[in-house]
Amino acid sequence: MAFVAPQVLGVVALGLVPFAFVIWYSLNEWRPLTGAFNFIGLDNYTQLFSDPTFYASLSASLLFGAALLVFNLSIAMVLAVLLNQRLRGTSAFRTIIFSPVVVSVVAWSIVWSFLLAPNGGINGFLAMIGIDGPNWLGEPGTALISVVAVQVFKGVGMNMVLFLAALQGVPAEMKEAAQLDGANPWRSFWSITVPMIAPTILLTCILTTIGSLEVFAPVQLLTGGGPGNATNVLPYFLFRTAFVSQQFGYASAIGVVLFAIILGLTLLQWFSRRRWVHDEV
Amino acid sequence: MRASRTKVAALTLTGLIAASLTACAGGTAPSGPVELTMALWSSNEGHLALLQQIGDAFVAEHPDEVSSISFEPVTNPDYIAGLTTQVAGGNVPDLAWIPESSALEFVNEGILHDVKSTLESTSGYDLNDILPAAIGGWEGDDGAIYAYPFSNSPFGLYVNNDLLAKAGQSDIASIVGTDAYTWQTVADLGAAVHTAVGAEGLTVPQFTPTNWSALTMLGTSWGAEPWSADGKTCELNSPEMVEYLKWYQDQVARGAMPEVTGSIASPAFAGGNVTFAVAQLSTSGALDDSLDWTFLPLPAGPAGYAPIIGQAGVSVLERSANPQQASDFLAYLTNPENAALLAQFFPPPRESLLNVETLQKAAPKLSAEEIQSVIIDVVPDATVKAANPVLSQFTDKVRAGLDPIWTGGDVTEAVTATCESISPIIEG
Amino acid sequence: MRSKREISVAEPNRHSTASKVALYIILAASSVPFLYPTLWMFFSSFKPANEIFIQPPTLLPQNWTIDGFAQIFTAQPFVQQYGNSIYIAVVVTSASILLSAMAGYAFARIEFPGRNALFVLMLAALMVPTEVTIIPIFTAVSALGLNDTHWPLIILPTLGPTSVVSVFIFRQHFLSFPKEYEEAARLDGLGRVGIFLRVAMPLAKPAIAAVGIMAFLRSFNMYFEALIFLHTPEKFTLGLAITRYQDIYGEPMWATQLGAASLTVVPILVVFLFAQRQFVQGMAQVGLKG
Repeated sequence: MAFVAPQVLGVVALGLVPFAFVIWYSLNEWRPLTGAFNFIGLDNYTQLFSDPTFYASLSASLLFGAALLVFNLSIAMVLAVLLNQRLRGTSAFRTIIFSPVVVSVVAWSIVWSFLLAPNGGINGFLAMIGIDGPNWLGEPGTALISVVAVQVFKGVGMNMVLFLAALQGVPAEMKEAAQLDGANPWRSFWSITVPMIAPTILLTCILTTIGSLEVFAPVQLLTGGGPGNATNVLPYFLFRTAFVSQQFGYASAIGVVLFAIILGLTLLQWFSRRRWVHDEV
Repeated sequence: MRASRTKVAALTLTGLIAASLTACAGGTAPSGPVELTMALWSSNEGHLALLQQIGDAFVAEHPDEVSSISFEPVTNPDYIAGLTTQVAGGNVPDLAWIPESSALEFVNEGILHDVKSTLESTSGYDLNDILPAAIGGWEGDDGAIYAYPFSNSPFGLYVNNDLLAKAGQSDIASIVGTDAYTWQTVADLGAAVHTAVGAEGLTVPQFTPTNWSALTMLGTSWGAEPWSADGKTCELNSPEMVEYLKWYQDQVARGAMPEVTGSIASPAFAGGNVTFAVAQLSTSGALDDSLDWTFLPLPAGPAGYAPIIGQAGVSVLERSANPQQASDFLAYLTNPENAALLAQFFPPPRESLLNVETLQKAAPKLSAEEIQSVIIDVVPDATVKAANPVLSQFTDKVRAGLDPIWTGGDVTEAVTATCESISPIIEG
Repeated sequence: MRSKREISVAEPNRHSTASKVALYIILAASSVPFLYPTLWMFFSSFKPANEIFIQPPTLLPQNWTIDGFAQIFTAQPFVQQYGNSIYIAVVVTSASILLSAMAGYAFARIEFPGRNALFVLMLAALMVPTEVTIIPIFTAVSALGLNDTHWPLIILPTLGPTSVVSVFIFRQHFLSFPKEYEEAARLDGLGRVGIFLRVAMPLAKPAIAAVGIMAFLRSFNMYFEALIFLHTPEKFTLGLAITRYQDIYGEPMWATQLGAASLTVVPILVVFLFAQRQFVQGMAQVGLKG
């Protein structure tokens, strides 16, 4: 029991207890600089659910999360499969692809803000092959996907490593047997490899979803939530509400709703696992 | 393991108890000398050294009231966010620098302490020396005074003469003061330089979509204001503002002004690749002789010449535990003698100090003519960016509403939608 | 002795030269968006200010200058800040490994009441977003007088919600651990602590590597917490310090910022290059059970 105590107590004290405070704050109107702190019950929530910006922010978050999940996992898987070949130099590629994970998210975002500028590196490169690049971060159609791309390139290395490790646990005999039966690599991948690494896929799915809904720094440094509310994801909306509009109660309500969404999506993924993950869970 | 488990539990418990005690603690005014703190956004060593010097002198004169004064820069790049965090966490400074954009709001919400009686009763303070235009934004309706506007820095136009010459354009300083000195002329020159040598034409460095007011403020010379004087009616959809924003779009389309997106900063004037930049005198500090530059007053728009000034005030926070001592220090910090010292860095609001010798110290790289024409002639009549008593509640909605304009969207649609979304909030 | 799943098997090399070349080309092309930004960041620290914004943008400097780079050390106490980041990361990493291994072992191997419920609770804590909970934590930290110290930066990553992932990794690892070892050790007279320290941990090297690297990275690149809790430049950590390079007028010193960011990245990459295999192995057990 003592083994588990420090960690558990820590998580409770630093994660759950503050969250309990946050729930309490969300039932109040709190303006720190004036010192006003008044109980208003569920008013923050009623206001939130009739606030068009909230819905815009929610859809931005969900779109962002979905896009990030799809691109991150599929690119990670493709790269892991490619790098699972025993070829010389794969460890160098592995390091290169993993390297953005190590760079601070602030530095990474700043560099990409230069590259994505209307006359930045990306458009300069496109100009060389005759394409007139769009205003990546200024056009509503491209802003969200640009921020997704920045975040995908930052984080895909970690998932690639997870998939790589899982792939290396797939016994070679099974794949060889499938090949002898006439299955092509594509078929054998889907019928044999994927089911065998399904637990890892589930885990990365859950962790990536959680991470994608908490993305903050790239939005702040690249788009400031714009254009319009295209990239005004919930954590950024929360931040502006708390620190610019100075409404800590309202911001806490946003935080509670965000947690509920993350929890809901996680539980959804966890309980759907019986459908497609066959290992003992 | 047992020891660490107990330690963690004890720490947590202490934290929770302490936190709740802090929240509940009222303030019994402590007797005896107090420690004052001032929050500010500058970490400049020169600024801090001067402030500390003045602070120490005050302590020496009032040892029974104040035992020490410390100046604590808010390290968060977003000053208000950092200050709010600090205060939310229970650390309330006695005094704080206040940006002008928050002035009206903070005055209205009672965040700032009225120091008028202290200022009036301080001998030798000379309240009348302070320009009415400067202190106007910091006064209450009942004549209360909520801050001393210690920095009054007009916006001017920096001109890169090297680039103008490279593009074969004429010297612009010669038309200043004539009818030809307009935004259109400047934009035309900017477009010409951009086409000829590829450098940026006219930039407004502070402008990003999040900081939209840095652009809308220039609309005053088109006669455009974002809202009515009482702040309750949205005027972003006025014909003047629409005309101004369309003019802006035209300039971007022809290359006279750069496209602005996201949170990306525009190139700095000091880099040498910008022909005209709308900025304040602090920008001159980064410039040197490698560049042939001039600092001019702002050009006129269709509705005439509308000088704009950026301000910063220093206030006592109403939540301070020591408002009287803090007010006394504020009066001391900003009395005529110390105001002259502060003027080394910040253009003062005191008429007696608005002369070339004093200001030369704050802007060593500016010539006397530049100081006269851009600062001294401007400060008494300039207006600050439009403030609104509930600005922080709707600034993000304005950002979202105006965003389509910066990439060429329909101006009328955008401003109409913006006014619709903020009207419920500003009508109050 | 290795459990079955620890055998690393990469695909045997049976590709034709053509497909090998194709593979290399694909990999090289894919690497560009991962590598180019870091390279651009590195080279830009040697450019004069106006070259960073130049149209069209360039990778290599036209006029190499060491000015921006040199200011990394003069504008801020960078070496001290680097040291801060390193010692905090080391403390967090070692404490994290120990504490999360203990908890992971307990969740995997020790029967105690409410075990599953507690584990689910921990996982729930992982989903709590930091931006909101920072305020109550900040209040407590201020009340304890720990503001502007490194304590919150050490305690939060080690004991806070983000450590749940580490616990999870160890739990997965210990779950796949053959029980025979522990039984043998118990017969030898070892108590629980002894089994943990002498039998379980030495065999948990891959998990230790994985948790260690993740904890180190998380701590080394910490930004938000440092922003909230630290005020004196001498106490800053790197994540915060690299955003603070501004000249006295508040204009960012781009070349210096990018150079500082490059300096923070290079040592970690070198470590990763050498420690890759252990890291990958450690991650191998992650997805397996529960």
